[in-house]
Amino acid sequence: MTAQMEDRPADGGQMGVYVYGILPGDIEVESGTEGVGDPPGEIRVVRHRDLAALVSDVHLDRPLGRAEDLFAHEELLDATAADVAVLPLRFGAVLTTDDAVAEELLGAHYDEFTSALQQLEGHAEYVVQARYVEQVILSEVLSEQPEAAQLNESIRGADPDVTRDARMQLGEVISNAIEVKRQADTEALGDALSGQVTASVVRPPSSELDAAYVALLVETGKAKKLQQAVERLAKQWQGRIDVRLIGPLAAYDFVGAPAPAEAAAGD
Amino acid sequence: MTIAPQSGGGVAQRPQASGLADVIDTILDKGLVIDAYVRVSLVGIELLTIDARIVIASVDTYLRFAEAVNRLDISQEKEGLPGLVGDLEEGGAKHKTKGAIEAAGEKLREFADASGGERETQRSRRRGD
Repeated sequence: MTAQMEDRPADGGQMGVYVYGILPGDIEVESGTEGVGDPPGEIRVVRHRDLAALVSDVHLDRPLGRAEDLFAHEELLDATAADVAVLPLRFGAVLTTDDAVAEELLGAHYDEFTSALQQLEGHAEYVVQARYVEQVILSEVLSEQPEAAQLNESIRGADPDVTRDARMQLGEVISNAIEVKRQADTEALGDALSGQVTASVVRPPSSELDAAYVALLVETGKAKKLQQAVERLAKQWQGRIDVRLIGPLAAYDFVGAPAPAEAAAGD
Repeated sequence: MTIAPQSGGGVAQRPQASGLADVIDTILDKGLVIDAYVRVSLVGIELLTIDARIVIASVDTYLRFAEAVNRLDISQEKEGLPGLVGDLEEGGAKHKTKGAIEAAGEKLREFADASGGERETQRSRRRGD
């Protein structure tokens, strides 16, 4: 359990313990499950009382962050979250030893983590990402905003250098109009799904064409109903807004420092 | 485990965190921050990750919208010339994929070109399952 610091690779670099997430202690990991790093470390479990952390060894002299690293982190936690409550750590958490994980992380914050896990029990996170179909939403804005249509008329066929100000102004009018639509559609999405979710967080837009980008904490038993509700909405929005439902995920949006217990309590 | 897509389903058909952009949005930005819990045994490790968030109200966004509206005009005028319209739409779609997130993905992909195939989903589970 505590051999990491002595476990030196051939190149003499030091090893650390990468931490993925915190979960109830009654879990086990399939052997051979690979984590972050190149070559990837094998996922292990560090336990303290009835809490556990998923960890793997990493070389401290090799940077992390390749796409494989990011996928390894997320996939492990998402697959875990489908079965059991888990507090996901942000990418890049490394401690010195297994003992440090057990005592300084799990032991020192035992009550907080235990209570947060209890609140997440039986839930998983889903993310709904809705995006405007660009041509459709732009046509909509042009027809609703006389100013945009006028500006658009004024820059047609003109020298781009001369019309820069007008183009900036046009873009700003469109951007503002889409922002108003985004607020309305995000609200509509919230209303349509409210019966299926325990808590929700509106994420900052991931693109200027986002119609809604929302993280939802959902009871496992309501996942099917959520999916149906999202599909109904997608049908209603078809042609104007593309909708994606992502999940189940670990509850990344519903844990927060320094009191994760509070995050899941909202409604 | 992901929800199985329904047969003949609607638009909401991709119930998994698939793309790199989804992953970047989630695990670089969300989740417990280790520094808030551990100080003594914390190890700093170099991260290659970059901030993938885009700024919505920006000069680039404004000019891009203006350009897109302009293209919209052209494609509407040229209706009836399917070849040309097709070209324009293709160009439009290509432009769309050049957002900041995909640009970030490209940088990350430099480190990732070996990954290629299907990633095996790995999991832990309760004892006795």
